[in-house]
Amino acid sequence: MNVIITTLLFAAPEWVRTAITRERQPNVFWSEYVVWPLIQILIVLFIVLTVVAYLVWVERKVSAFMQARLGPMRVGPWGLLQPLADGLKLLLKEDLIPSKADQSVFTIAPIISVVAAFVVLAVIPWGSTWATIANINIGLLFVLAVSSISVLGLVLAGWSSNSKYSLLGALRSSAQMVSYEIGMGLSIIGALMFARTLSLNGIIEAQQADRIWYVLFQPVGFVVYIVSALGETNRAPFDLPEAESELVAGYHTEYSGFRWALFFMAEYTSVIVTTAIAVTLFLGGWTLFGLESRITPVAFSIVVAVLLALLALLIFWRGVMGEPPSIMRTVGMAAAALFILAAIALAVTHPFTEQGARVLFSVGVFAGKILVLIYAYMWFRWTWPRYRYDQLMALGWKWMIPAGLTNIVLTGIWFVLALPKPQGVFGLMREQAGRLLPTGKGIAYFIATAFVLTIPITWTLLATINRRTRDFNLAEQRQLQMRLRRERLEKQLQKGARESEQAQV
Amino acid sequence: MAAATTPAKRRTLGQIIRRLLLIDLFKGLALTFRYNARALYEPRDGGNPLQAIYTEQYPKELARVSERFRGAPRLNLDPENGASLCIACDLCAVVCPVDCIEVGSIRREVRDGDKVNKKKVLTTFIFDTSRCMFCNLCVEACPTDCLELTQSFELAVYHRSGFRWDREMLEKGINYVRYTK
Repeated sequence: MNVIITTLLFAAPEWVRTAITRERQPNVFWSEYVVWPLIQILIVLFIVLTVVAYLVWVERKVSAFMQARLGPMRVGPWGLLQPLADGLKLLLKEDLIPSKADQSVFTIAPIISVVAAFVVLAVIPWGSTWATIANINIGLLFVLAVSSISVLGLVLAGWSSNSKYSLLGALRSSAQMVSYEIGMGLSIIGALMFARTLSLNGIIEAQQADRIWYVLFQPVGFVVYIVSALGETNRAPFDLPEAESELVAGYHTEYSGFRWALFFMAEYTSVIVTTAIAVTLFLGGWTLFGLESRITPVAFSIVVAVLLALLALLIFWRGVMGEPPSIMRTVGMAAAALFILAAIALAVTHPFTEQGARVLFSVGVFAGKILVLIYAYMWFRWTWPRYRYDQLMALGWKWMIPAGLTNIVLTGIWFVLALPKPQGVFGLMREQAGRLLPTGKGIAYFIATAFVLTIPITWTLLATINRRTRDFNLAEQRQLQMRLRRERLEKQLQKGARESEQAQV
Repeated sequence: MAAATTPAKRRTLGQIIRRLLLIDLFKGLALTFRYNARALYEPRDGGNPLQAIYTEQYPKELARVSERFRGAPRLNLDPENGASLCIACDLCAVVCPVDCIEVGSIRREVRDGDKVNKKKVLTTFIFDTSRCMFCNLCVEACPTDCLELTQSFELAVYHRSGFRWDREMLEKGINYVRYTK
């Protein structure tokens, strides 16, 4: 009874509490579990949505540069207001719902996709201490579970549109996402063996303690994760569902206006999420060689000032996409002057507390790493040709999943061998504060085993599995069908000729 | 159903290594990255094929045309007295394969001291740019270097009649809206 009362009191507003218990006590519930998270959520959503809008712009620019083009240049300086124009256009477009479509499901499908993509943002470790919204102890599991719901959005979208194109696109993409999720789940286990926790911040702190990024322990896991993440987000060489150049559109054929935009928001958000998980697991999250716990307010101010000054220089740098637009020469003057003033002011006053500087620095590091990976995504997308559907499935099932499994087994073996002396053989790890840390030799041992043993063994295994995989020849199959049909027809003709002869006789 | 399989070809060691290290994929990545980097630091020079960005932003940057490009026609004036160089000899109209030139002239008496010379003087000159194929034969035929095909290529008009350029247009050029944004 007492317990119930205390739990109820815990969630009660302050005046109820004081009325019941007749004593004033600070109520941490509202501040700690409602107000502060709401502020964080608003900030994160604002930043992520802005970044998503500008990722479209960045992608158009990057693809243009890789194809000897300029990309958007007309809306605002260097096309910087393009996302705004795009958004406005999509908002003003007519929102069509096909008459034969299942209306309720049709409206709810993009919402499912977007919600599944956005909910995951709550557990991403954006930075150290107070920069993460929810640091739950099953963060990674939560991410995998929630992001698999987004498949549902695609399937429902394709099915409810009542159009064959949509249905086929949805079938393709759902099959693809379901298959690549397996590879994704398998690839993270190796890193989890070293981290020994599912909490995302815990994984980063484990890398901090091990003084290493797990990409060095887990090269195979990292590659498998990246490929699976590309397949999972329907991007790059695996963008079969959209396949602008060959399909009508895919699962969103019948969508228009803002509902269509929702699907793309979901896609780009899931790109951010998958890269964030990759950074967390394999690239040390918000850590940067121990700098994040040692940086002083002065040093951090200088870093920010340098970045601002670079931005100011960029406005006047003639190299980037040519001559600065006329508007930038006038407005840019003031902007650049402001940036430089702000930089000087920052460097002089350094208005950060010790902790604030560290947290902001960690957030910056995390964002930087994510951006590098997102650039890699775009780089892949505009370099490599698209897979055929059967090749895509073959890559998922016959390459990625075996590679993930092999990686798990081998990592487990190396890990068990390196345990401290009584259990292990080499004794290359030591117990410290309830954690198993590899010693200096241990780090070298893990890196060496990963690169010298795991990669070749995985390759041999994959080569063995896929030894005769190219024997299946689609063109040959078609030729065979045609030959059989021709023979059948010829036989029929001969038969007909014989019959007519007999009839004449 | 007979299975149609062709045994995979034996690969050489070099091919195996290339496949193992995904050399081809990385080659492609290196190429696109080089283009991307060059696009960022090279000064812009629209329409230059040696540049990483080939785009010329047309209204802002005028398109480059080659040295021997033949575009809008022009009738040249005598730089000394501003009179037309055309002597109305009709050679351009005669030589034109698509008959898009009409030369109108009158015979005028010109007194030169005691003599009275009859001289052809140009009155109208119609040049139909919609039918012209810019073959340069009229320019070759012109004895006084009056008719010329210039480098300008902006010949779009709002109505078919605008394609028939009269003498004034040919001498002064047409005025079209210059967009600079």
